[in-house]
Amino acid sequence: MAMKVFFPTCCNTADSGVLIGHWVPEMRMAVVLGVVHFPFIPNQVKQHLTEMQSLTGVDLCVLGSWSNHSPGNKDLSRFLEDLSGVFPHNIWIQLSKEKGGKFFNCYLSGPGPEGNAADRLILIFYDQRKVMLSHWHSVKADSLQNCSHVEVDHNSTSEFAMMFATVAKSECLFVMDIYDQGPVKMTHWQSEGKEASIVVELAKMASAPVCTLLSKLLFLVSGTTRTFNLWPVNFFWRKLSTCGQLGYRLEHLQTVSSTKKASSPSEHMRKANIFVSFLIDVFLGLLLISWLYRENRIGQMADALVPAADHVAKELTELLEWLMGAPAGLKMNRALDQVLGRFFLYHIHLWISYIHLMSPFIEMILWYVGLLASLGLTVALSVISDIIALLTFHIYCFYVYGARLYCLMVHGLSSLWRLFRGKKWNVLRQRVDSCSYDLDQLFIGTLLFTILLFLLPTVALYYLVFTLLRLLVVVVQGLIRLLVDLINTFPVFSILLRVCRAYRLAAGVKFHVLSQESGRPLHLLMQINPLTFSHIVQMYRLPTYSCYPQDSWSALCRKLFVGELIYPWHHKNEKQE
Amino acid sequence: MENCRIRWRKVLYEHQAFPDNYVDQRFLEELQKNIYVRQYEYWSVVRESSVVTQQLASVCVFVVLWWYMDQGVLLPHWLFGTGLLFSLIGYLLFDVIDTGQGRRQNGRTRWADLKSATLFLTFTYGFSPLLKTLTESISTDTIYAMSVFMLLGHLVFFDYGANAAVVSSTLSLNMAIFASVCLASRLPRSFHAFVTVTFAIQIFALWPMLQKKLKASVPCCYLGVTVLCTVSALLGLLTISGVAALLFALLLFSVSFLCPLYLIQLQHYKDNIHGPWDEAEIKDDLPQFLK
Repeated sequence: MAMKVFFPTCCNTADSGVLIGHWVPEMRMAVVLGVVHFPFIPNQVKQHLTEMQSLTGVDLCVLGSWSNHSPGNKDLSRFLEDLSGVFPHNIWIQLSKEKGGKFFNCYLSGPGPEGNAADRLILIFYDQRKVMLSHWHSVKADSLQNCSHVEVDHNSTSEFAMMFATVAKSECLFVMDIYDQGPVKMTHWQSEGKEASIVVELAKMASAPVCTLLSKLLFLVSGTTRTFNLWPVNFFWRKLSTCGQLGYRLEHLQTVSSTKKASSPSEHMRKANIFVSFLIDVFLGLLLISWLYRENRIGQMADALVPAADHVAKELTELLEWLMGAPAGLKMNRALDQVLGRFFLYHIHLWISYIHLMSPFIEMILWYVGLLASLGLTVALSVISDIIALLTFHIYCFYVYGARLYCLMVHGLSSLWRLFRGKKWNVLRQRVDSCSYDLDQLFIGTLLFTILLFLLPTVALYYLVFTLLRLLVVVVQGLIRLLVDLINTFPVFSILLRVCRAYRLAAGVKFHVLSQESGRPLHLLMQINPLTFSHIVQMYRLPTYSCYPQDSWSALCRKLFVGELIYPWHHKNEKQE
Repeated sequence: MENCRIRWRKVLYEHQAFPDNYVDQRFLEELQKNIYVRQYEYWSVVRESSVVTQQLASVCVFVVLWWYMDQGVLLPHWLFGTGLLFSLIGYLLFDVIDTGQGRRQNGRTRWADLKSATLFLTFTYGFSPLLKTLTESISTDTIYAMSVFMLLGHLVFFDYGANAAVVSSTLSLNMAIFASVCLASRLPRSFHAFVTVTFAIQIFALWPMLQKKLKASVPCCYLGVTVLCTVSALLGLLTISGVAALLFALLLFSVSFLCPLYLIQLQHYKDNIHGPWDEAEIKDDLPQFLK
C-alpha cells in the first residue's frame, strides 16, 4: 500500500523543525498537524505532546523532520538525521524543500518493515483551517432505491473521515500563536494570530444568561399550558391547528434556549436551523402585521366577512332548492326529498342567525387575533385555516348527517339483501350462511328492503353533494397546512451555509495533481467536495408534527362508497379512529 | 398348442400367459342397465303436476284481482273482508285436518298465531302511505317489468316438493312480496296498497301451507280444490282479455297433460349403465345388516 502523508499548506513556508502529528499504521497514513521550530528542548516537546494528547484524545507523536533550507546548505540535513534518535518513533519522515522552490523531497526511514524506502509515497496538501471546521458526511449510494442516502457516520473507517476527525479534534493544539511565550514554538494555521470578531464574542458572552432566562420563562409557559390538558378545553385545543402550531414553536424555543451545549455537529446544525427558521418566520409575520394594520385593513376584512358568510349560505340554499326539485333530471322520492331539504334549510337559517349575532364583535376579535401573527407567519396561516374551518362548520355538519344516514341505509340494505336470499351473516365464522327465517321476519324484512331500495337514490344524492363540498374545504385546508409544513421544516441555515461556506459540509474530497515526476513523491492538493443541495435538505429537514393522509386512494374510495366518515388529516399524536 | 387351458384371471399382479390388455368372453357380463329407472304411469303424473298448475292459478288470481282494483271495479274493503273470511275458514280447516299433531310438534300456540297476525296487519297498515308513494317517480313500464320478473322468479324458486338445489322457499316468498309492493304502489289510495299486500301474504304464504296439509291427508279433496282455482282464474282472465285467457288455458293444458306425456316418452331413451365400477353407497340401515 502506498504511504500517504497529509501536509498543511500553511507550513509550506515555515522554518525548519520537527513534524508533529498522528500516525495510523493500518492505513499507512500520517497526518502532519504542525511544525515545531528550533531551538527546542526535546523533553519539553515530549511534555507538551503528552499534555496535548490528554486534552485532545488524539495520539500525537513526532513524525519526522522538516527542512526549508536555502540552496547549498548541507549541514542541516546531517543534524536533522541525528534527531531521529532523540524522539521515539515508528516511522521517520524527512521532508526537505529548497527555499523558493515548489516541490518537496521526501525520504522515509524507520525501524521495522514500515520504514521501507522503496514504498511509493504520496504527499497530499490540505487547508488546515477548512478541514478543521468542516463536518464529514458519508454518502452511501443505495442502488436499490436509486438514490443516495446521506448519513453522518461517526464510526466511519474511511481514511479521509478519520483524517478529518483527527484535525477537528486537535483544535486545542492550535490555540497558541507566535506572540505567546510558550515552551515550544509551533507553526500551524492560526500561528499568525487568532482572528475573531467582536460581535461574535459579545454574542457568545451574552447568550449564556439570555438562554438561562429564556428557558426559565418557557418552563413557566409550558407549565401553564399543561392545565389546558383537561377536558373540554383539550377537545378544542386539538381541533384548532393554531394551537398545534403554537405548541410546536414552544417546543422549538425550548430546544434552542436550553443551556446544554450541542453534543454533536448535527445537533448544533439542528439548533441553528430551528433558530434561523424561527427568526425568518417572525420577520415575515411582523411584515404581515405591518401591512395588515395599516389603512384600517382589519376593519375592511371584518366588514367583508359577514357578507361573505351570507353569500355562502345563499349559495347553499339555492343548491338545496335545486336538490328538492328534480336535480339533473334524476327522479327523487318527493316526500323524503322535501323532508331532508327542509331539515338542511333550517340548519342554514340557524347558522346565519348566529353569524349575524356575532357581527358586532367580529372586528375586535380579528384585531386581537391578528396580533398573534407576530409570533410567526406560520401561526397566521394556521389562524386563517381555523377561520375557514369555523366559517364552513355547517358544511361539516351536513356532511356528517348525510354520511351517517347513508351509512345506515347501506348497512341496512346489505343485511336485508341477505335476508331476501335466505342467508345470514354468521358472526362466529365471519361468513355468510343460510338461515331459515320465520314468516313474520321474512315479511317485515322484505317490506323494509323494498322501502330502503327505493329511497336509496334520494339519500345517495344528498350524500354525494355534501361529500363533494366537504372535500373541497378539506383540500383548501390541506394546501394551507402544506405551506405551513414547508416553512416549518425547511433547513434554511444549512442551505445558507452551503451557499456561503461550502467547505463546512463535506461529502468527499477531490484531488488536484501538482506534480508527477519520477524520483519525487506524487504531490496532490486536496479540496473539499461539498454536499449537494438535495442531500442537505434530505438530511437536515426538521421533523414535522403533522401527518399526511393515512388512507391510500383505494381505501378512501371504499370509505366514501360505504359512507364511513373520513378524517384525512390526522395529527401524529391523536388517537386513530 | 396348450393342452390345459389356463383360465384367465382379471389380475395384473401375476404373470400370466396372456398380454396385459387381454379380456375373455366374460367381458362386461356384470353390466346392468337401467335398474333404478322409475316406471311412470300417465295419470298419476298428471295428478302430481297439479302442484304447478295450482301455483300458476294463484299468481293469475292475484294479478286479476289487482287489475280489478286498478280499474275501480273491485272495492278494496270487499276484498279485505272476503280475504279475512277465507283466511279464517282456512285456519279452522287447517286445525281440523291437523288434529293437533303438527301443533304439538312445532309448539306454536294459537296465541302466537294471533300475535303474528296482529303484527302483520299493524305493520302493513302503518307503512301503507309510505308504500303508496314509494315508486311515484318511476315509470309504469319499469314497475310492470319488475313485477313480471319477480313473479316469474317466484314460480321458478317455489318449493313444489322436489329435492333440487334451485328450490328456495324464502327467496320465492320474498320475490312475491316484492312484486306485490311494486304493484300496490300503482293503486289510487293507501288503503288499496294495504289490501293488496295483505292479500298477497294470504295467497302466497298461507295458502301453500294449507295446500300441503290437504295434499298430505286428503288428496282427492286437494285435486278438487285445484280444479276450482284453475277454473276461477280462467274465468277471471276471460273477463279481462280473451287472448290472455286462451294463452293461459293453453299453458295449463300443456303443463298438465302434454308435459307428462313427453316425460313418459322420453323414458325410452334412458340408458343408464351400472356395474362394479360405481361409487360405493353407504347404506343407512346398519341394524338390518347386523341381523
